[in-house]
Amino acid sequence: MKRIFPFFIAVSIVMTFSGGSAFAASADENYKWYCAQCHGSGGKGDGINSKDLPVTPRNHTNPADMKKLTDGDIENVIKQGGAATSKSTTMPPFGSTITGDEIKEMVKYLHKLCNC
Amino acid sequence: MRASKFLKAAGVMFFLAVFACIYAGQANAGAEDGKKVFAGKKCGDCHQTEGTATEKTFADKLKKKGPDLWFAGSKFKKEWLAEWMQNPNPIRPLEYNSIEKTNPGNHPKLAKKESEDATEYLMTLKSKDVQEGVIQEGASNIQGKLAFEKKVSCFACHKYPKLGKPIGGLTGPSLADASKRLKGDWVYAYLKNPKVLIPVKRMPVYEGILNDGEMKGIAQYISTFK
Repeated sequence: MKRIFPFFIAVSIVMTFSGGSAFAASADENYKWYCAQCHGSGGKGDGINSKDLPVTPRNHTNPADMKKLTDGDIENVIKQGGAATSKSTTMPPFGSTITGDEIKEMVKYLHKLCNC
Repeated sequence: MRASKFLKAAGVMFFLAVFACIYAGQANAGAEDGKKVFAGKKCGDCHQTEGTATEKTFADKLKKKGPDLWFAGSKFKKEWLAEWMQNPNPIRPLEYNSIEKTNPGNHPKLAKKESEDATEYLMTLKSKDVQEGVIQEGASNIQGKLAFEKKVSCFACHKYPKLGKPIGGLTGPSLADASKRLKGDWVYAYLKNPKVLIPVKRMPVYEGILNDGEMKGIAQYISTFK
């Protein structure tokens, strides 16, 4: 019990001050909540905001386009947004919104969407 | 002579105090009446008026039928609120919590007196996390404009006035005439500490991405939107 108590305190401190969301969501939930606004719920780049954007959002189901990106590229653009990765600034940074683990899960999810 | 001046000054002070009490009493009566209007119209079925924020997950957020109002007095401008509840034109292009359906524009209307009283009530609902007097509204701010348009492209989700025409995405509330609706201090507080005010939302968190000057700049820039 004496050993467990400090562990719970440490976990609580980490949970309180770490970045990212307060709860863990699946990649599918995160995609449909955040990304679908521009990329569409099916990932085709046809979200409801897409027609008002100066640059068409990427079609995540297009394997030819998606294969041009490494996992590191995808992780960076999700975390830091378009401005920090020489892409469109209309792609916002999600590094303070979802956790690093959620971003890694999102990369896997995108591979499923493009089947590549 | 001195006694006469003193009596005159005391008299003026007395009348001012009486008027202040009457005015405060009327405002308080309005707020009390407004609370009754709010309850009678069942506004609480869609709007949370007791803080702090309760939602923790997407599912919690999806259960909500309308935006929280427990910080309404920190967020909205009084004149706008009193007018809007009589003519509730949609602020969000899309239905609340939806990224597909158009806003049906079916928010209930209040009569003038009901709206004024409800406004008095809503203006009493304030958040301690929104500090007042930080943002100088209406002044141009180039740092804010650059951050808004170039760094984080807020217009991807929010409409804003560009060359006299509202442009931008649909999933966020329109900012086209935000200077009439929103207090600059609210916009800054929301950017700075979103997890306290609206913890679950589709807008990204900008803590650690925008610096304090940029957040203040964006709030000030938005305060110029007419």
